[in-house]
Amino acid sequence: MKHFYSHLVEIESVIVILEELDLSPSQKNHLATLIDSSFYHLVLDISLSHLDDPSDKYLFVQILSEDSADPRLMEILISKGEDIEEKLRKAVSELKDEIHQELKQAKLIKATHSKKK
Amino acid sequence: MDLGHTFKSQNPSYEHLRQKLTAKHKDIQENFFQKHGDSMRHLTLGGLSGLMLLNTPGGAQLLPQQVALAQSQDIKKGEDVTKQLAVALKGSVPDEVRPLTAPEEDKIGKILSEKLDMKVSASLQGVKLNRSYGLIGGEQHLYRYPGDNVFKHSDSASDWAMYGPAGIAPGLGAWGYFAPSPEAFTDKDKEREKWYIAVQTFLSPGFAENVGKYRDFFKFRKMLLVNPNTGQAVVTDVADAGPADWTGKHLGGSPEVMEAVGLAGGPRKGPVLYFFIDDPNDQIPLGPVQVQRKGQS
Repeated sequence: MKHFYSHLVEIESVIVILEELDLSPSQKNHLATLIDSSFYHLVLDISLSHLDDPSDKYLFVQILSEDSADPRLMEILISKGEDIEEKLRKAVSELKDEIHQELKQAKLIKATHSKKK
Repeated sequence: MDLGHTFKSQNPSYEHLRQKLTAKHKDIQENFFQKHGDSMRHLTLGGLSGLMLLNTPGGAQLLPQQVALAQSQDIKKGEDVTKQLAVALKGSVPDEVRPLTAPEEDKIGKILSEKLDMKVSASLQGVKLNRSYGLIGGEQHLYRYPGDNVFKHSDSASDWAMYGPAGIAPGLGAWGYFAPSPEAFTDKDKEREKWYIAVQTFLSPGFAENVGKYRDFFKFRKMLLVNPNTGQAVVTDVADAGPADWTGKHLGGSPEVMEAVGLAGGPRKGPVLYFFIDDPNDQIPLGPVQVQRKGQS
């Protein structure tokens, strides 16, 4: 599913590693939902914090509820200044790095578990 | 005893990620609701449809009654409109999955055109396929440009979980790559691969005598796909030729198309109507469509 911020989230490196972990379909689904939802809430937090005017917040949420990929969403944020796109990019990148740390650990666990078998 | 390594499933790496990512998600979500909970309660009072908050692990933390109500209303609205199409088609589509007669094609074409507000027919510009009602099977993703891979097809982790398992076809589609390079790859190319179908162009009457003309006709030709049992409909484009006659299937759909017509599960196979869309100005977007309510644009 595409969102207005999808171009800021480099998801390929995350799913390449998930693919290596021999997950069942339901396990893939669960972890994928957690990851996507984490990015979603993080971006929404920063976006709503960026909008001071309640009417801007209302418009933003209204558009988001109809189409989360609507380009107007980023336009609204950018119109309020302060290089919001870079701020979002930095935040999602940090979250992605944290996820990668856990993926790295998961790979080690898998390797250790395989050796024990 | 290290409780961090007391795993519940046979997959310890999954258990690790489940614990860690759940905790991380909880932190992010709690932080969000702490800062914006009051705003969201006010902003979404009028309707909560479409907000991902409702469908996240752990569920929304605000207004559970409204969440349940909005979800049930949205689900009901979605079901109502697709059911309308299924009801409209009932009696016109034969129970047996066989080629339609000309009068049947004409009648069904008119129903689809009216209900979906687009010009739909079994033949277009004097060209028709061998049939317009048949069994669709699931296809794999197609390489879109040199260097493409199945992971690049996903916009999100959920896309990968849902559509990744289909894999990617070893060869190219009938028209080759969708773009000559990653730099030249556009959103339009992306949508074309996402919503593609493979049809039996080679069984189309007159194909052998007019290969060039038919190739040009079928290249990314828009076709409406409808599951007559559920009313689920999707605008697709022809990006491959097949399947072979001996497979017992009459056309193939991308993983996203199969999901859109409700045939992604189980045997990934089922009956669909497939009609040409007359859209010379390329105005009708690819992807799922819904029945138009009276007076609705």
